[in-house]
Amino acid sequence: MTILNESGIPDVLPPLHAVDALAERFENVLVVVAGTQAEAHLVQCLSAARSQNPSPFRHNPRLVFAVLDPDAPPQQGLLASRIVESAAGMRGTDLVLLVAGRSAESIGVDAAFEARLVARKLDLPAEVVNPDAPREVPGTLSTDLEDGVIAALVNLCPKRRTSDLVQTASPAKRGGLFGGLLGRGREAQDSGDGRPVVLLGGALSPGAAQGLAAELLRAGVEVAGAVPESRIEELPPLGEGTVVAVMDPNLKAAATVAERRGATVVRTLMPIGVDGTARFVQDVAEEAGSRTSEAVRARSAWEDLGALRNRIRGKRIFFAGDTGLEIPLARFLADAGAVVLEVGAPRLDRRFLAAELQALGPDVDVVVAPDYRGQADRIDEARPDVVITSPGLHLPLIARGHLCRSPRDFLEAGLYGYGGARTILELLVHTMERAAALDSLNL
Amino acid sequence: MRLLRGVYEGPQSHGILRTATSIRGVHALLRALPGEAYFPTLYGARERTGRMAPVTLSPMRTEPEDSMAPGSLDRDLSGVVRRHPKTEAVVLVRSEASLLREENIPVTSLPEKENRKPTLVTFSWESPGMKETEAAELALEDLIRSQMHETPERSPYPTVNLFGPPIFGPGAAAEYAEAERLLDLIGVEVNARAPLGADARDLGRLPRAWANVLLYREVGESATLFLQDEFGMPRVTTPMIGAAGTGAALRALGELCQLDPKSVQRTIWAELARTAKLPWYARLEPPETFRNRKVAIFGDFTYPLGLGYALAREVGLEVVACGTYLTHLERDFLFHAHTFTEGTFVEEDPEAVAARIEAAEPDLIVGTYLEEGVADSLGVPFLPLCPPAAERPFVERPLMGYAGSSVLADALDNVLRWRTREPAGEAGIRWTDGALQEVASVPPFLRGRARRLAEDRARQRDSEEVTREIFLESRS
Repeated sequence: MTILNESGIPDVLPPLHAVDALAERFENVLVVVAGTQAEAHLVQCLSAARSQNPSPFRHNPRLVFAVLDPDAPPQQGLLASRIVESAAGMRGTDLVLLVAGRSAESIGVDAAFEARLVARKLDLPAEVVNPDAPREVPGTLSTDLEDGVIAALVNLCPKRRTSDLVQTASPAKRGGLFGGLLGRGREAQDSGDGRPVVLLGGALSPGAAQGLAAELLRAGVEVAGAVPESRIEELPPLGEGTVVAVMDPNLKAAATVAERRGATVVRTLMPIGVDGTARFVQDVAEEAGSRTSEAVRARSAWEDLGALRNRIRGKRIFFAGDTGLEIPLARFLADAGAVVLEVGAPRLDRRFLAAELQALGPDVDVVVAPDYRGQADRIDEARPDVVITSPGLHLPLIARGHLCRSPRDFLEAGLYGYGGARTILELLVHTMERAAALDSLNL
Repeated sequence: MRLLRGVYEGPQSHGILRTATSIRGVHALLRALPGEAYFPTLYGARERTGRMAPVTLSPMRTEPEDSMAPGSLDRDLSGVVRRHPKTEAVVLVRSEASLLREENIPVTSLPEKENRKPTLVTFSWESPGMKETEAAELALEDLIRSQMHETPERSPYPTVNLFGPPIFGPGAAAEYAEAERLLDLIGVEVNARAPLGADARDLGRLPRAWANVLLYREVGESATLFLQDEFGMPRVTTPMIGAAGTGAALRALGELCQLDPKSVQRTIWAELARTAKLPWYARLEPPETFRNRKVAIFGDFTYPLGLGYALAREVGLEVVACGTYLTHLERDFLFHAHTFTEGTFVEEDPEAVAARIEAAEPDLIVGTYLEEGVADSLGVPFLPLCPPAAERPFVERPLMGYAGSSVLADALDNVLRWRTREPAGEAGIRWTDGALQEVASVPPFLRGRARRLAEDRARQRDSEEVTREIFLESRS
């Protein structure tokens, strides 16, 4: 593996685009985007463009834009009182997320102060998410907002140790995602010395955490819950003694917050692909105090994928880089026999992704901060079989005759765990099959 | 500061980019945070042509000076010239974050490339509070000024310039094409289209034409005024919407180009017989189809006014509300809209617009895609004929000209054929005061829907009235 820094302008979807999907994802959360007209327009346009079904236009009532006037900066506290007014019109709000980036700051809005004020007035938690938050490693990923939101939610997790909570929590309250799984897990090992495991990630692929929890349970590990959960009261306790398992490669900020709370963040592969899932389950289980070997399970998973692997073997794949998910995806596809030509990484946190980078095959080139025009030229030259594109390159590349998929397609299809490995390969195979069918038409 | 649930317009940088990317040979350098560069993505998703947006990002970064990474304005500008040798003009667009930070933009000139030197266009009026449409208009004027190197000869035969909508307009290219077709019929050639479909070099040749036809006033107004002042070029400003508007515009143009009025009229009659189906539709339908049917219209400037006039006069609907979101055109809009309706308003907040429309109790709503919610909650038909539109059709259909009038006739025919019937039994349901108080706390654009759900719930429970409890139950 070679890492090359191109110092270009990567083609990345603005992180704010995810606001709409995140507001959909959570129940009872009021999301306020504070900024100029630009932020509001961006969120609205990109969610309309992204939407599979634009008609009829449905605006999410729990997403509100605070459009600030740069010529008349609001007085301190005004934003908070407006948010309070608008939350009053909505029933059952559990949390206020104030998304405020660089422009709100330049206009002179102290987002943290406003959030504290909202929290005090409404007697509800209110958290600030900064999509432009400075990071140790330069660069922007399109999934940075998910990271910020999960970090905010980690802050909201109850701090008590799970062992205390197990006794106090009433079973009726456990109606959530993990209700069934948890019940069984606790009965089996109620006084075991295993440490509670919390999954971090999968914000926009619902059901992902559930699948992985089932996988971990099979390995004898109890999963206390996941962040994010659709409902705030279902957030698992997270603090000292908790084992945090990160599912997405972009969750640096969230992992840091968890660590700061005293939790142990497992440094392992992301649960993407067969080997990734196996290492993930094994390492998380070990950290949680139960020894397990996934070797048998991994081998049978690879055997199950035999037919699909034959279709993928030798196919040349190019990752333009947008979400950060490209690195584990490339790792899995290279293991599955595909030829990975290049992996674009708009931002590469080598320390956080150390395990992933080590596992990346020897022939894979990672290009940090790739220049998208240069990438387009390289793609034209190399003519890969499939390009996993970034948003701005998607249509131009299709127009040049390349076969393209967006990394978001994988996310929506569900790419975690052993089942996800199959989904990834199927998605690629279907793409190629369809292209072949279209090519065979005599137009 | 306002809390909004949606916006009709983008920021000023978006407006400039729409104008700049409409013109071939113009490349935009966008000075912005990486998280603000959504234009290229939108360009791809809306245009769906596969062309890469002629926009390069110059990211604002806090990195050491000696780093070779993009972000230095000078280097990025020369990079644009190097990579796009055919560029005639480079437009420097500053995003809101860049303007808010009051970044100092050094006045630079562009490097020469193969003895050709593209013009650098910067805008001194950019401000973070400005909105999309106003900026698009000013940008078009400045772009034209920047390309006006010498005064070209007036063409020997009558020609005109078309000033229409920029890219992302619904069927923008089709509007130009229809206008060009009609002008061709009366014997006037189109010298240039601006901004959409123009080449940067066309902008310098605009004064060749005898007159300017202003199809889309929102963007072309100050450019045509500049040409009028500087070169004495007259302009036609009647919106070409509906058969009457189109006829008036063609006759006015014929006069300006000294055409034979009889031949222009003959062409108009021929078109009325062949292409323009709106007058034919209005005659064909029994008057009951239109009588006492109320329409609410909301949009930018040209479309609501043109459609309002056509629907009020040519079709015979009652326009109960007609509004715009373009606050900077407020006076002009109110002046024109008062000729066909009493219910004029100017409003930027989609919720307030929904409330205005709801209060007017229309039978049909013509608006932008943001009005779809209120139409749905009122249960009335909806025509998304005004920009911004969410549709991105492969086949663009005009709304202007005679062909456009037929498109309008089809749209009306589809929605007016069935009369909205009051659901049986609805009248029998009473609302208690407590329930009505709760309704008042629901955002206006969701109110109609909430009411329907509550009444359904009351019917399910065989209740004769909607109480506060039933209402809350239906909302949970």
